[in-house]
Amino acid sequence: MCLRLVGMSTSQAIYAGWMEIPDSAVADQARNQAEEAAVAALVDQYAGALYRVAFSVLRNPADAEDAVQEAFLRVLRHRDTLSEVRDHRVWLIRIVWNIVLDRKRRAKTRPETDDVEELARVLPSSGLSAEQMAAAAQHHAQVLACVDQLPSKEREVLQLSAFEELSSVEIAGVLGITESSVRSRLFRARNLMAGLLNHARSLR
Amino acid sequence: MNPQSQNPIGPGTPDAEATLRLIAALPAPQGLEDRVHAALGAAFESGRQQPRARGRVLAWRTPHSSGNSWMRTAAAAAIALVVAGGGWGVYSRVQQPLPDRITGAPARISAPGGFGSDGAIRTPQTLTGPVLTHPPEAKKTGTKAAAGKATPHAAHAHSTPELLPQGAHAGPK
Repeated sequence: MCLRLVGMSTSQAIYAGWMEIPDSAVADQARNQAEEAAVAALVDQYAGALYRVAFSVLRNPADAEDAVQEAFLRVLRHRDTLSEVRDHRVWLIRIVWNIVLDRKRRAKTRPETDDVEELARVLPSSGLSAEQMAAAAQHHAQVLACVDQLPSKEREVLQLSAFEELSSVEIAGVLGITESSVRSRLFRARNLMAGLLNHARSLR
Repeated sequence: MNPQSQNPIGPGTPDAEATLRLIAALPAPQGLEDRVHAALGAAFESGRQQPRARGRVLAWRTPHSSGNSWMRTAAAAAIALVVAGGGWGVYSRVQQPLPDRITGAPARISAPGGFGSDGAIRTPQTLTGPVLTHPPEAKKTGTKAAAGKATPHAAHAHSTPELLPQGAHAGPK
């Protein structure tokens, strides 16, 4: 698309080439606007889901929100490839999942017991008495402690399987493994969890 | 994925997965999208001010002064000379006449167990056969009179008629 001055003769138009706005500049501007709108739409649609995924691993609201922002900044950086992505939801969850795991690995120095107890308080417990709420919080803390003891492969599959909207195929897409691997890891994770919980109950 | 329907394990696991599902179902904080939009807007503006990298490998500097143009020309000429010299060297080596070589055909090896051509004589021995030292004796199958009348010339003509010329036939006409 070229913007030319109206009312010029042909020769004038030829010699006035410096007045033209280059095609590439206009195309770049239009493409930038389209990409910005596409990223904004992704934020509106998937920010909540990404936050929940991030929170399930990090168990801290501020860290989870940071992870979501970083994920969308990465999307903005690679917005050229947005059109090539087949399933935006799985793609975004995969991005935030990698960010979250990286942050979790780097923040290993912080004691996780604090996070677990705080999370147990955060979990909903409406309609319960104070005593029941305390028991529920203790139970949640115990479960989360057992989850943290699982091997990483089994723990990741178990955490992602808790999201109702993720099928096993989508979990496989997020983790980059096959669907049969997801199933076998989930089976192992449930076995291990049962053993860990029974062991914890026997100790009480 | 519905964990309840796929859970083949004991009573402890549903509790655990219920806890994980509670965590997964926690709502996102209010205004999360707005804060993300704001962060993206700031990043987008800063990205606009900096030109986007387009995977350019080499950024050739534009010539600001013509003072070093002769150096560039000399460097280009040197590169061209080196390339041309190398090419000529390769070409001249390749163009040298190769000595003629006679390559003998490998001996044929007959298949084991098959028929061989060892000792086969392709030329009949009759061509270089034995030379007769005595003339062969005339056959005595006919009468003596007939044998006496017959001249040696006629006998020879009779025996090899194709060797005689056309008009020199000994027989009466």
